Amino acid sequence: MEPITVYLLVLVCIIIGGILSSLAVHLMPVGGAPAAMATATGIATGCVMLMTGAAVTGLFTASTVASFWVTNPNVILVALSGAVGSMLMMGFTMFVGNLIYIFGAGIVPCSGRVAVDPITKESQTEYKTPRTDGHGVPTVSFVSGILGGFSGGFGGALIYVMLVSDSYAHFSVATAGIVAMGIFIANAIIAAYNIGGTIEGFHDPKFKARIRTGLTCSLIVSALCGVIVVIAMLTGTLVGGVM
Amino acid sequence: MPVISLFAWMLVIAFLAFIACMFEDLESDIGSQSNPNSQVQLAPEMGYIHRYFNKAISGEGLSYALSCTIAGTIAMLMLLKLEPMLAAKDMSLGYAAVLAIPVGAAVGSLVHMVRSSVCHVGREAAHKRFEQPIYLDVFYGHLLPIATHNFMAVICITAIAYIQCNLGILSGVTGASNPFPLPLLCLIWGLTVGAIGSSTGDIHYGTEREFQDKPFGEGRRVVYHGQICRYGDCGIRTSKDVAAFCAKYGGPATGLAFGLIVLFENWRTVIGMLLGDLAGPAWNPSIAAAGGIGIGIGIAIVLIILARTLEKWARNKYGPFVGE
Repeated sequence: MEPITVYLLVLVCIIIGGILSSLAVHLMPVGGAPAAMATATGIATGCVMLMTGAAVTGLFTASTVASFWVTNPNVILVALSGAVGSMLMMGFTMFVGNLIYIFGAGIVPCSGRVAVDPITKESQTEYKTPRTDGHGVPTVSFVSGILGGFSGGFGGALIYVMLVSDSYAHFSVATAGIVAMGIFIANAIIAAYNIGGTIEGFHDPKFKARIRTGLTCSLIVSALCGVIVVIAMLTGTLVGGVM
Repeated sequence: MPVISLFAWMLVIAFLAFIACMFEDLESDIGSQSNPNSQVQLAPEMGYIHRYFNKAISGEGLSYALSCTIAGTIAMLMLLKLEPMLAAKDMSLGYAAVLAIPVGAAVGSLVHMVRSSVCHVGREAAHKRFEQPIYLDVFYGHLLPIATHNFMAVICITAIAYIQCNLGILSGVTGASNPFPLPLLCLIWGLTVGAIGSSTGDIHYGTEREFQDKPFGEGRRVVYHGQICRYGDCGIRTSKDVAAFCAKYGGPATGLAFGLIVLFENWRTVIGMLLGDLAGPAWNPSIAAAGGIGIGIGIAIVLIILARTLEKWARNKYGPFVGE
């Protein structure tokens, strides 16, 4: 493959990976600190923490799968492996979170931002505690979280496999892992700033209002990161086994 | 049979993961950290003086990433020194691991304990104008539980990382090892264990234990924030009383979440490898990868169905909100 095509492909894949990461953070139901006190719907932790945890789980699986091939791992299959790994992590976390809400605190999962769950068509308002913003992870937030996990894992693993593959950037395994994590975290933090606290998923009005800004910012951040990676490739500083 | 030993090591990893995340959650309850700690920080400002250990270190994900990476780095340095010595004397390399992993974990926990002490003292000093004292017995009495719970979590994570990056040698199946080095694997699992502990176990501490005098079965309203439960079964509550409660439900549930994740992640990858004829002549990496992906999607669908069933059960059993 022509060198210029390789550089462009790496840059474009990093940008796509970054945008998918940002999309994932917006899709995930994040309740933050209020959710830990059952004052808000979603998972009881911050955006960046949760998304990074999910993405590195996907990255771990992607690295194992990428090592199946001696050279030139199949990009799509490795990225999908990462996506599924991240998706499972989100799924189990949300499920056990719901178990603790229901049996540990006696709370019914319900949304605080919509009156009717768009997927199950069940009413939410009469199950919500007054003067809270919902609690637990209702079905629509669960599905939104699964999709978010898939998207984020795909983005992170895509960046990783483009960096580690011999036919593209050819970084060492550890460097590719750290760089992928770094680009991912940068996009996740930008998205967390954009969300500004809590978000329930794709049904939340905040999602539609803020997604365009979020994706544009992550496009710029990922492009900057991609340019630095291409410079590293051009100057040959990180080729092969050099850390 | 090398494939059976692969599955056996996988179960060991899942078991260690269960223990690691359970102790992670209990440690974040003993030294009140992360999300529910926002209430412990708010309480003096609203006039509720408390005797909790206010450990305001970052989020649990990054805090555990740091502890585990310190442990992994020291363990790796010791392994790099010890393994050639053992190989020269023709002794088993396991001796190096048994020495390196606990020593690394101990250093990681000591650093964590130092960070906790600085955090508590700093945070409570900032609350001086709300007349919140720094109770020295609270300060001294919680350092050891924090360090020991952290040690349990970190040693399990370091052991998991060690097994995963040496799985090919341990099980006899070539190609089963993860290509990442030991400290990077520790970073990855430390981040994950902190993220999961923060997402699940914090609910039991924050909603139930911190506001135990509020009615069971409702979310904590915004007007209740800061009014944490400061009196225990007998006398004034400290964070040590919190861990005993959360160890009954929140801790094990959190451990279950991480154990299941690690189990299903490794299990589907190994099944995929077997489908692609691992350690055989017809090794097909594409089928191996696709098999793992297919199983993973199947598990996700089952999870969505289970979550929906659970939600429906809760709605029918508990019914709409009663009261004002």
